Amino acid sequence: MWFSRLLQRLFPPAPTPAALYLYLAFALAGSIVLIVALHRLLGPRGRRWLIVFVTFIAGLFFGLEYFYPVHGDPEKNFLTDWIEPVSVMLTVVGALTVGLGIYSLFQVHGRALAQRRPGWHNSLAFFLATFAMLVFGLWEHYLHLPQPPPDVLPWPKVVYEILFNGLFAPLQAATFSLLAFYIASAAYRAFRVRTGEATLMMAAAFIVMLGQVPFGAWLTSFIPADSPAAFFRLEMLGEWVLRWLNTPAQRGIIFGIAVGALAMSLRIWLSLERGTFFSEQS
Amino acid sequence: MSAPQPTTLSDRIQQIPRHYVYLLLAGVVVWQLLFPIRLPITPSVPTRGVYQAIAAVPDDKLIVITTDWDASTQAETGPQTQSIIHACFQNKKKFVIMNLQPPMGVKLANDLAQEAAKEYGAAYGVDWANWGYKYGYENVLMALAKNIPNAIGDDFYGTPVAELPIMEGVTDIHQVGLVVIVTGLSAMTEMWIGLIQGPYKTPLAAAYTAVMAPIYYPYLDSDQLKGMLVGAKGAAELEVMVDRPGKAVAIMNVQSWAHVLIVALILLGNLGYLFARGRTGGRQP
Repeated sequence: MWFSRLLQRLFPPAPTPAALYLYLAFALAGSIVLIVALHRLLGPRGRRWLIVFVTFIAGLFFGLEYFYPVHGDPEKNFLTDWIEPVSVMLTVVGALTVGLGIYSLFQVHGRALAQRRPGWHNSLAFFLATFAMLVFGLWEHYLHLPQPPPDVLPWPKVVYEILFNGLFAPLQAATFSLLAFYIASAAYRAFRVRTGEATLMMAAAFIVMLGQVPFGAWLTSFIPADSPAAFFRLEMLGEWVLRWLNTPAQRGIIFGIAVGALAMSLRIWLSLERGTFFSEQS
Repeated sequence: MSAPQPTTLSDRIQQIPRHYVYLLLAGVVVWQLLFPIRLPITPSVPTRGVYQAIAAVPDDKLIVITTDWDASTQAETGPQTQSIIHACFQNKKKFVIMNLQPPMGVKLANDLAQEAAKEYGAAYGVDWANWGYKYGYENVLMALAKNIPNAIGDDFYGTPVAELPIMEGVTDIHQVGLVVIVTGLSAMTEMWIGLIQGPYKTPLAAAYTAVMAPIYYPYLDSDQLKGMLVGAKGAAELEVMVDRPGKAVAIMNVQSWAHVLIVALILLGNLGYLFARGRTGGRQP
């Protein structure tokens, strides 16, 4: 708890909106000064060790907090009180990557537009879409409409709804819906009973495909649901394939992935992973 | 170099041009949307598990519905979310929507909840709320487990969640009676299981797109998931259970006949393959 109290002492809630903006300005200026100072003062070797150190401490903190025995009511260990403020802090740091992403996109598309590269009209569409959603999204948000919203909506909200529900959502949905056509065509072309394994796979696919839709249930509905032969109803067979054949296989895969992820996490934690910032520099 | 033209019947039925396949599929979809042949839908065990998990939540606890989906999977995840919301309202359970990724899901789910709330006369902030999109994946979960008002901050509309009546007495994850994950993304379930269900024993249920559902059957088997909605099928089953047959039921009519078409096409292709094989004396054609 002392850590939370310390944080509250160091960062008290802003008494007025003006004070909040002042705090934000100080925080921003302070961060910039700190980053520039570290960049100037530390050479590549120093920067490397700083990142290795921070990565190690962060990994150690979360690992220890999770595995260290807990006691008391509510149950906690000596690190538990730190979890919430540190997690919020990391969320704030992580949110900065959104700004980085936007900056990178603006840079790439801005250059394409300025130099009239092939496909520049796509970059123009990107800027138009981004600014339209940004302007009307923020406008709509700051209208602070009551809940439930009124029957007659103000026009910025209407424009935002058209952009979001009338354009963005259907475009994205339509793009992914095309997959159904490719899957149908690919299944027809690729599924051949060339081997015993392929035949088994096809049989399982047919059972699951038909067992997952009402047509399959209807096809075998002549078998009474309470009879000993009910197992042979397609929906039951499909469920059996998923729960009794698929589950052990998936469990094996999950275990394999977990072991791999553990090894990978260890390498990242100890900054041993190749292809990170350091090996690119060297 | 272009592919050789099919000369025999067996070659022809193995090489139906793809635009005919697309046309056939589009035809089936349009036919079933305009003139649906409705077949009975019976709720499966995993779907019943979701409904029972919602009904079993104590009245003084919240249900958290994480809507980690966007328009790309909306055909399945939209009706899933909608039927889960109906199940919450019908069982008079208080629920909140939240979203970790992609951010679009929180707005789409909010529209669905608003529509359902009108039907049940439910009030925002009292019977349901929207915690909004929260960036930070694991960090958000770890923080909200310890202190929900601090971790969530403001709701979808910019109001501090601590000021909402629904949040009265809600301090940490112990006041959450069920988390329902509705997602088209992998790794979300593992996060919730590792950081919430495992350490705090908070019950979990989930709704997945049909393609990703098979991966999560082991968690159903181990009772880490109390129930699971599998794609549009699961949504349609829950729609039937809450007596609100809607989009998912319509989708299942279409999907039924689309599956039949695909099975028929695969059988046709294989018939051609077996004929060709017979012609070549059992060798691979």
